Amino acid sequence: MSQLVIQDLHVAIGDKPVVKGVSLAVSQGEVHAVMGPNGTGKSTLAKAIAGHPDYTITHGDVLLDGRSLLAMEPDERARAGLFLAFQYPSEVPGVTIANFVRAALQARLGESAELDATGYYKKLYEKMDLLKIDRKFTSRSVNEGFSGGEKKRCEILQMAMLDPKFAMMDETDSGLDIDALRVVADGVNKLRSGQLGILLITHYQRLLNYIVPDFVHVMYDGRIVRSGDKGLALELEAKGYTWLKKELVHA
Amino acid sequence: MSALPDIQTAAPNGAFTSEMLAAHLAALGHLPKWWLDLKREAWNRFAALPLPQRTNELWRFSNVTGLKLDGYTLPALADLKSQISNFKSPSAGAFPQAATLAFANNRALPGEALPADLREEGVIFEPIETALAGHADLFRQHFMAQPVNLGSEKFAALNAALTTSGAFLYVPRDVELAQPLVVTHVLAGAGSAVFPHTLVILGDNARATLVENFLSADPAEAGFVTGVNDLYAGPGAQLTYVGTQNWSPGTLAFQLNSTVVQRDARVLSLNLHLGGRQSRHESHSRLQGPGAYSEMLALTVAQGAQEFDQRTLQSHQVPNTGSNLLYKNVLLDQARTIFSGLIIVDPDAQKTDAYQSNRNLLLSDEAEANSLPGLEIQANDVRCTHGATSGHVDEEQMFYLKSRGITAAVARELLVFGFFEEVLNKLENEQLHAALRDLIQTKFTH
Amino acid sequence: MADTDILETQTAATSSVAGIDQSVGDFKYDVKYDFDAGTGLSERTIHYISEVKKEAPWIHEFRLNALKTFLAKPLPTHWATRDLENINFDKIRYYLSQGTKPKRSWDEVPADIKKTFERLGIPEQERKFLAGVEAQFDSEAAYSNIKEVVAKQGVIFLNSSEALRTHPEIFRRWFGKVIPTGDNKFSALNSAVFSGGSFIYVPPGVKVAHPLQAYFRINAENFGQFERTLIIVDEGSEVTYMEGCTAPKFSTTTLHSAVVELVALKGAKIQYITVQNWAPNVFNLVTKRGLAHEEAEIKWIDCNIGSRLTIKYPGVVLRGRKSRGEVISIALANDGQHQDTGAKMVHAADETTSTIVAKSISVGQGRSTYRGLVHIPRHLKGCKNNTECDALLINTNSRTDTYPAITVRGQQHAAQHEASVSKVSEEMIFYMQSRGLTEAQAMSLAVNGFVNDLVRQFPMEYSVELKRLIDLEMEGSVG
Repeated sequence: MSQLVIQDLHVAIGDKPVVKGVSLAVSQGEVHAVMGPNGTGKSTLAKAIAGHPDYTITHGDVLLDGRSLLAMEPDERARAGLFLAFQYPSEVPGVTIANFVRAALQARLGESAELDATGYYKKLYEKMDLLKIDRKFTSRSVNEGFSGGEKKRCEILQMAMLDPKFAMMDETDSGLDIDALRVVADGVNKLRSGQLGILLITHYQRLLNYIVPDFVHVMYDGRIVRSGDKGLALELEAKGYTWLKKELVHA
Repeated sequence: MSALPDIQTAAPNGAFTSEMLAAHLAALGHLPKWWLDLKREAWNRFAALPLPQRTNELWRFSNVTGLKLDGYTLPALADLKSQISNFKSPSAGAFPQAATLAFANNRALPGEALPADLREEGVIFEPIETALAGHADLFRQHFMAQPVNLGSEKFAALNAALTTSGAFLYVPRDVELAQPLVVTHVLAGAGSAVFPHTLVILGDNARATLVENFLSADPAEAGFVTGVNDLYAGPGAQLTYVGTQNWSPGTLAFQLNSTVVQRDARVLSLNLHLGGRQSRHESHSRLQGPGAYSEMLALTVAQGAQEFDQRTLQSHQVPNTGSNLLYKNVLLDQARTIFSGLIIVDPDAQKTDAYQSNRNLLLSDEAEANSLPGLEIQANDVRCTHGATSGHVDEEQMFYLKSRGITAAVARELLVFGFFEEVLNKLENEQLHAALRDLIQTKFTH
Repeated sequence: MADTDILETQTAATSSVAGIDQSVGDFKYDVKYDFDAGTGLSERTIHYISEVKKEAPWIHEFRLNALKTFLAKPLPTHWATRDLENINFDKIRYYLSQGTKPKRSWDEVPADIKKTFERLGIPEQERKFLAGVEAQFDSEAAYSNIKEVVAKQGVIFLNSSEALRTHPEIFRRWFGKVIPTGDNKFSALNSAVFSGGSFIYVPPGVKVAHPLQAYFRINAENFGQFERTLIIVDEGSEVTYMEGCTAPKFSTTTLHSAVVELVALKGAKIQYITVQNWAPNVFNLVTKRGLAHEEAEIKWIDCNIGSRLTIKYPGVVLRGRKSRGEVISIALANDGQHQDTGAKMVHAADETTSTIVAKSISVGQGRSTYRGLVHIPRHLKGCKNNTECDALLINTNSRTDTYPAITVRGQQHAAQHEASVSKVSEEMIFYMQSRGLTEAQAMSLAVNGFVNDLVRQFPMEYSVELKRLIDLEMEGSVG
């Protein structure tokens, strides 16, 4: 079974340390929720693992099946089985979703093999139906002019198409109304299988009503300060982050 | 100082002969030798340079055959009183002012001196001939320190050779002037040639507004003008410059502006062009420190057979600078305008944010608007855009106004002011804004 | 400079990209030429060309006058790049051919020339989707054929040299009328030594369903190709013409200087598509202009990927009321290349409209320049122009320039010009990389996305070709 292991990870933006020693192990089939107040380093953690050039890993390691990801380019990490669902997905003008996903899949096949076009479209339409995405979206440019909900669904569509081993979902619930949230969560739940491990980054407990996590971690000031099961999320929801802060001060 | 070459002359320079220079210098014996030497050098440059040629890209679309230099004289002081006694031209004047300087036919007239507190803080606001003697080091450091390079090098040299009038403004570090300083230049008598020169130096974090009015004593008299204007904004300084050009309709006029903007400084310049037969305005902003920002604005009302020729350059020389140019022209009758602008982003001047826009409103079938908005970009992480439009008044708007009982002429005027408002609104000083509106109004008499 | 060189060879930086983009055309088979005007340009060169072609005296005279104009005109370096000074006109060969009569079937084409075109895939394309093909090899067409069904509609599609002999009346009526000899130094040069190119006449009311294509191949070193194309589309008719070009890469200069004149009579439509992929030692100095009569439409689609220096501004003179002109321009400048392209729109009748959309991409030390001219004179009404030009800069040392000139006279017109410069954002590249694309793949995709809205307007075969060329050019542009 595949495992994504984060070992004592420290991440800085410029000179400023943001993540200050996070350790976490996610196995395929598990859903780990990382919760915490804004500005606590959750998104930084995800972006650093994905290899964003603005984030410097100053200490620690990230291992996928025992192999360090840190020397790899972002695309190599993706081809190794990592997926980041962005909080704010980029627009790619002039490149249609169909072509984009196809190029991403082709990149996994390498130059020698040609992606089967018929099979590809069959799978694409299947997944779109699953996520209640209109088929005319295939000919629209990636994220260009999309509403917040459309962007998030487009992220989940890509996740469904690219079959990652591990997905990091960065505030996937932000900006979604309850109907859109339900569609996105349904999509994720359908992908949730023995094959996919998920790191779910969220500020609110709301999403966890729909995507029920196996583990919940609370992040504060760049560190994981509590870990538990879904009950921890409910406790946090009930008592609020200020409770957590007080707890930490007293500890 | 090294030996100077002999004074030279060249045939196409018309009225501007070496005899004129000799007479000019003879009258300036009381001024420092370095100043007179500098004038001789400038004269040699003027004499050696050819008149603009049609094939010169910097003069594309210009009426170069209109650049005849015959028939002009350096006006004599004796005639001045009678000439300005029947003063007719309007200027922008109705707003609170900190101090004034006035010049007529290259001579200083009495103005309103700086308040004592500003003088004590070290602000200098005086005629250049006083400043070059009293503050020689500061003056020499900045006088024509930025080369004029948008086509009128010859005329810039002529200004340096013959100038005796204009304002020198120095605002020391951290000093802020609440009210505008005002300079007025008057041209009087047919055939008079005047050479206004403006030098503005703002120290670190200083703040000032300078308004310059250029006008003729009598709209019926045609003259010749070459003005040069150097603005220097030191780190963190904020300068607002407003120039109103209202020379008589027969005048041939050049106005050559250079602006240097240092780190985190901000310069707004607004030039209003109303007068002249053929009026060329060159404006070059050099952004030399990170965070520097230059806003370049112009409004033109072109009527009769007037030609307004505007050449601009936004030079982004270091990373993280910004500039925004907006030139709006209204064209009536058989008037012509030429806007030729260029944004240059140097290699390594990353994160430049530059914008350039020329909007022409044509109100006559005989009017002609030429637009050459250019970009030369040698850094890739930049945001540079430009736009140019040439169009007419919106017929629907016109109809709407008329349906309310407004005459066509008034409706047109309203739409012109509507068109100009975007630029005028950039002035924070509302009284100054109103004064400019009043001045523009004088071009629309029913 | 060594005597054998026409100009100094490019620096090492240039040769590093050579062979990527031009890989398709970078090969050369030895060919024996029966006719060779020798090196350098004089009246003797012109006598030779006229004699080989057995031309009428008026053409000979036309050429001699053009030579005088060419020699009298200075290089336009007061606005254009001084790289033009590196062309040594005395070291160029102005006419090379195996004969002046093109073959009607590929089997008759001499084997050494035939294998060149086969390798470039021309006969195959002809079978698949073309209504007619002309294949020019150095100075003359080796092959020229039109499908019978199209010929039966009365469409004439011939090599220009041939058409001058067989259809002198109609040729002479329009020849040099859209682009006069003295239009510029290079149109004068072409007028003096022109050879080859296409002649098309479409009779009234005929819509040619499939494109006609010309393929221009330069094979010889130190050579100048000067084809002359004249397309006349009669009232209510329509045609699409496509041209492609390649040359092997030489260390010396090759010169390509064509003149293309289009005439769209009342209500006619012409679409002219170019995919220029010359080797990086080619100076490509081309004059292209169309004359649109009443309610006619001329559309230029102009893609410039290859060459060392291209100077080309396809234009439309809107002579008839309600005529329309359009230029779609795509340019990609890589290391050592300068694409100086754009468009000219001259409005000469009421209610004429013109559109220019130009997109350029500068890679490495490549330089792309847009020049545009829009002219709307007085005493007209209801003319409209819309221009949009966007530049994409890939590397920190890439360069782009934009020099439009717009003249509007009178109060009944509207002209609008917008331009922007941007780069491919790092966020976008990271986003694509996070999906498993390499940086180069992501860059290619971004660049293709940048031009995608324009490429969509191309016939399928050409959009595929263009995408492939862009992918090749973007290789090695990152890192």
